[in-house]
Parts: sequence; structure tokens; C-alpha cells
Amino acid sequence: MSGTEGFDPDRVKCVVWDLDGTLWDEIAVESATDALPVPRARMLAAIDALAARGVLSSIASRSAPSVLGRLDGVPELRARFLAPQVSWQDKSESLRAIAKDLGIAVEALLLVDDSPYERAEVEALLPGVRTLDPAEVPALLAAFEGREETPESRARVHRYRTEETRRAEAERFQGTREEFLRWCGMRLTVGAATPEEIPRALELAARTHRLNSSGLTPDRLRELAGSAGHHLFTAAMTDRFGDYGVIGAALVDGTAPAVRSVPLLALSCRVAGRGAAAAFLFRLMERSRAAGAEEFRVTLRPTDANLEMRILLRQAGLRRTDDTTDAAVGAAAGAAGAVLGRSLHGDLPEPPAWLHVSDREDTEA
Amino acid sequence: MSDTPDRAAVEREIRSMIAEAARLDETFVAELPADADLFGPRIGLTSLAGVALLGAIDRRYGVDVAALDLSLDSLQSIATPSDFVAACLAVRDGG
Repeated sequence: MSGTEGFDPDRVKCVVWDLDGTLWDEIAVESATDALPVPRARMLAAIDALAARGVLSSIASRSAPSVLGRLDGVPELRARFLAPQVSWQDKSESLRAIAKDLGIAVEALLLVDDSPYERAEVEALLPGVRTLDPAEVPALLAAFEGREETPESRARVHRYRTEETRRAEAERFQGTREEFLRWCGMRLTVGAATPEEIPRALELAARTHRLNSSGLTPDRLRELAGSAGHHLFTAAMTDRFGDYGVIGAALVDGTAPAVRSVPLLALSCRVAGRGAAAAFLFRLMERSRAAGAEEFRVTLRPTDANLEMRILLRQAGLRRTDDTTDAAVGAAAGAAGAVLGRSLHGDLPEPPAWLHVSDREDTEA
Repeated sequence: MSDTPDRAAVEREIRSMIAEAARLDETFVAELPADADLFGPRIGLTSLAGVALLGAIDRRYGVDVAALDLSLDSLQSIATPSDFVAACLAVRDGG
């Protein structure tokens, strides 16, 4: 896909910038000195405007890998980019590597490149990736203008950078994976969403796919969260490398006696593989029991993307119930949804030992 | 069809896929009892590892557990996905 026609900004998590002829006018390897060419001010402004709305930037340049080393010498420029790829390989390969490094789908990338050849190569090999000529950058920015700027979206680039540091440390770490996870000092806190956290919870509802139970829309989430007997919970995570902020949101419906139902559970895949999603779910179950509930239910709408969430629910012991007339199903998931449930009597599953889980200061469940 | 693996062969292969997905030693998983819980302390399958396991099963047998088993009842122990796959293969063979 090329151009901005029919462009859906919510699909784009990272804009990948070409260097020579795009980020700057010159060709870096042809400069007489070791200094990098001066970036175009309007490109830097675009990168910063996107970052404020939570869109990451990366680099795919077909050039000498030494250019990347020179980029490291300009920290204020380097800090704008995650997982940069500078090599002679095809751009489609570079884009694949960037998506893998960032842990996002390759279709969540967008390439800005002045070379029609490179754009065509990426469009041919990665049909889900949109490409733009640098002249189309103003149209790209316009597409993001309506998006709400939240503290979370402004901090997203920083968080991914923290994650890069963490990954580099993990590669250097001498020991088992479990020892490393313990050493990271991960702390998950769970509590009722504060008013400042609500935009982030809505953002998670809109942007998560892999770890999203029902696809409940942000508008519906906002409406239900404000209705009687419903509570919106969030989970925030920190570790020795920094603060990941709110990484999970769950709507809990306590209107039926003895039953706690979850019309939506949504988690960022930024912290995938560290037990945080399971720990959040298990803590919600514990809190429901502490509040007097005997049964815990989650609305599930299976999609092509949310198998990981389904396995998580299975791990938590949630099985299909016959209660398909539950109001939450009709509202959240339509005919394709199901309600999974389990008893809160007996042993509840526990999070991994390396993860410290605690409740934030509040008492409602 | 003669090239359809029998139930015992399926379980042997699935044990090895579980070891790979959960990053465990293959011999260790080969010697666990068939009723060992996939999410229990000995195997400790995570949701991410579970996705890898179901992917491996689909690639090897063409059995898409995620599509066939909504609440993933077959993800209980070593025996249950083996039973599920063997049953699917038997139906496919017209057996």
C-alpha cells in the first residue's frame, strides 16, 4: 500500500525512516568527514510530533553499518530511534528485523523512503506495510492529529528504550532465565483505575489484540466503567530498568450477587513473557474472592490474534459455562462470544515467584 | 492410511513439542507421567509457550486446536492434546 488514502492511524505503531535523501539531504557514506549530514528540521519535527502521540520511530537505511556507529555519537538524534537497521540488506528484511526487535507485527510499521525502488520492494514483499514518499509526511501527521495525547503515549518511546536496555542486559547476563527474571526485580501493582489512568485504559482497549479478551470498544468500556456496580482496574509494572506504566486494564462487573464478571481484560504485549498478564488475572480473582464472590467469569471473543489470551484464561482454570445469555456477552461480544468461568473456592493459581504483586491503596474489588 | 502416526507416536512427538515450547529438557518431559499438568509446576507452560505449542501441533499434523477447541479443554496434561490430535487424525482417515 502506498500513500495515505484509507489510512488507519491505529494500525501504525512505528514509522521507519530512510536516511539518505529522506531524513537528510546528503548520502552519509559519501561525506568527506566522519560527521553525519544535518537532518531536515521538518523530519525531526514530524518524528517528535508522532512520538508525542505514542508512535515510535526507527531507521531502515541501505548503507554501511558504520553509519549506525556514527549515529551513536549523536545521542540527541539516536535517542529518537528504536531498533535502527543500517546495512546493505533489502529494506523488507530490515523491516522484519525491526518488527521482531520491537515485538510488534510487521504490518504495524510504515516506511518513509524517497526511493520508489525501496518502496516498491517493501510493498511487494510485505503487502501489509504502507509506504510513503517524504513529501507525504504532512498528510501522515494530519492523520494522527485527532489522537489524544496521554502521558502514556508521550512516554512510550522512552519505555521501549528501557526495554531495549533490559534486553541488552539479558543477553549479557550470566545465569539462568529464572535468575535473570529474579534479578530484574519486577513489581506489579493492581488497583482501581485513577481518573488519570482512564485514557490509558481506553488506549489499551483500542490498541491491544494479542492479549485482549473481548474486543470491547473504548466507547463501550468508558460507558460501562461509569455504570453502577462496575469497576475499572489497572495494573502497572516497574523493574530495575525503569517504569513501564499501566500495562493492563480490566473491567469488573460486580452487579450479580456472588459472581464477578470481566467483560474486558486487555494487556500490552510490551511486557509479554514475564508472567505479568497471568499475575494481573490471578490477582483479580483473589480480590473477587476477598470481596465475597464465589465465581469468576470472563467474556471471551476469539479472534485470529488473541490465542495467547485464550491460553492465559485456560491457565487460570477458566472453562466454558453454559451461560450464553449473560448480558455481558450480548453487549460485548455478540453471537461469537462465550463466557468462561470458574469457582473461586479452593486453590487459586499463583504468579511466578520472580514477580512481586501487590495491591494499590484502595479497597474495592 | 499407513503413514498416520498412532496414539503412542503422537504422544511421543507432542512430549518433544512441549519440551521445546516450555524450554525444558526433552528427556525430562519424555519421562513425566502422561497426566502431568501442562500449567502445573513441573511443566509450567506460559501463555506464550502455549501459542508456540499449538503452532507446532498445527504444522506437524494440520490440526488447528485453537479453531476446534474454543475453551482449549485439550490443554490439560500431556495426554489430553495427544488424545485430541489422535482423534482428529482418526476421523480424517475415515477410521
